[in-house]
Amino acid sequence: MDYQLFKLTCGVVAILGLYTVLYRENKFYRFWEHVFLGLAAGYSMVFLWSETLKGGWWDKMVGTTAEHANGSGASMAYPFYAALLPIGLMGYTVFNKKYNWMSRVPIGIILGLYSGQQISAWQNRYVPNIVSSMKPVIPTTLEFTKPLTKGLSKEATAAINANLYPSQAITNIIFLVTLLSVLSYFLFSFDVKSKIIHRMSLNGRWLLMIGFGAIFGSTVMMRFTLLIDRMYFIWIEWFKQGILHR
Amino acid sequence: MASRSSIAELGNKLQSLPKPALYLILFLVASLPLIKPIPLPNSPDPASIDFYAHLMELPEGSKILICSDWTNSTRGESMGEMDALLRVLMRRKIKFAVYSIGDGQAPRVARETIARISREEGGGQPLYKPYEDYVVIGFFPNGEGQTAAVNTNVRAAFAGKTDISPTGQREVVQSPVFEGINSLADFKYLINVTASSTNTVILERIKKTNLMFAVSGVMVPENTVYYASGQLKGLLGGIKGVYDMETLMEYGVNNPGPHMVTSAAYGQIPGFPGKANTGKGTAYYPALHVCLSVLILAVITGNVGMFLSRKGR
Repeated sequence: MDYQLFKLTCGVVAILGLYTVLYRENKFYRFWEHVFLGLAAGYSMVFLWSETLKGGWWDKMVGTTAEHANGSGASMAYPFYAALLPIGLMGYTVFNKKYNWMSRVPIGIILGLYSGQQISAWQNRYVPNIVSSMKPVIPTTLEFTKPLTKGLSKEATAAINANLYPSQAITNIIFLVTLLSVLSYFLFSFDVKSKIIHRMSLNGRWLLMIGFGAIFGSTVMMRFTLLIDRMYFIWIEWFKQGILHR
Repeated sequence: MASRSSIAELGNKLQSLPKPALYLILFLVASLPLIKPIPLPNSPDPASIDFYAHLMELPEGSKILICSDWTNSTRGESMGEMDALLRVLMRRKIKFAVYSIGDGQAPRVARETIARISREEGGGQPLYKPYEDYVVIGFFPNGEGQTAAVNTNVRAAFAGKTDISPTGQREVVQSPVFEGINSLADFKYLINVTASSTNTVILERIKKTNLMFAVSGVMVPENTVYYASGQLKGLLGGIKGVYDMETLMEYGVNNPGPHMVTSAAYGQIPGFPGKANTGKGTAYYPALHVCLSVLILAVITGNVGMFLSRKGR
């Protein structure tokens, strides 16, 4: 058995081991669960140093020689980076009753940095959403559907795109009714007495439930795909390509 | 005529089918379409067509930035998306840089995927050379800060990071991939292949270049909103997105033929007929349909059981 097939076989045994929990809790499952946890913990320790601390902190603090500079020339040492170590270590004082106030220093720095980004982040994420929600609902032409623009000149395409066709207007109305209904559902701050708003709120609740159903459907499909991928690994990658065609 | 108690008993039995038997049925129905493939017709989504069309419109030699935030836990969907994306990039000779903000394992998984696709596209020999044609920059634990830094000064954000070159480890910003890159705007697109919340981190902070996402199925409803508002230029969603890309690679857009994919938004966009275009999407999509059919059947069985048991009381 060559190394590649051995690796695949280990993968198959691990998958079957983890799936045995579907029958009942057992030692074979526990063994593979602990192997997985051990691997993940070990890998995390290595990449914490190699991907984060070494390049982002250690090399900058001690500097690099031309020999180890990876083509970019030697770099100066910045001892100021050493000051980050005690700040980072303060985070661990959360486990000590007497000194746990110190943990608020690094947490405060992180919160401050994060909060500073939030206005711009909110604007970047939601303003285009709000702008695109302002949709026209009055058609500008009586031709019901938008003609195909394939093969037309740029001017002709622009002229077609400038119009709002009744079919598009209907779509926009459905969108706006949905938007307003769902928004009215979240009017919790005052007592709603208007029958119209009450109806819209009820409509909004139904539409939200339909939306949640669609999201749940997507989740189920994703979980199934993960199972199918494991079956593909066992039957095609290991059995067909690994065992039969080797 | 069946007595009320026997009806109730049947209803109870239908509601309490043994779980191991259900799991066994599920494993079987998930496996059979993989062993005996079932061809399914496909009509690619406009979001997938946009994704493909934008990649195909890039001039040869363009450069893009990929934020790869998936690992083996979502291999079923994300690997298919990454495979399809890499195939198009390599066939179009587009250089790319890959970094991760979601998971420490992601750069390693991306590196192996790139090497595999490079070998497959090169007929056994690597088509894309590491460091020359692509660089894997690595993982950045502070996703929010790193993404803001990438938007502000992309070279400074990646300075100090190294990758394997023919002469050993070298700084990524010295590689040919970064030639002519002085701002994020010099990358034609930032494409996020993700199965976690890094999509919003990027969406909130990247302003200087166009965004396209390839997300897992559970993230499709959320990201469709960003696509509809024009914040995303293209979107691949779950295994359907993978199947769409494979269909588009095979037939292109608006190319006459029995499997013509039509789009009013574009002229003719070629596919890559004769190349290895099918992959996980073509294999998994029929299996997903069979699994969903079994799920629906199980829901109906449970409901019929509940109805009978109530009637028999």
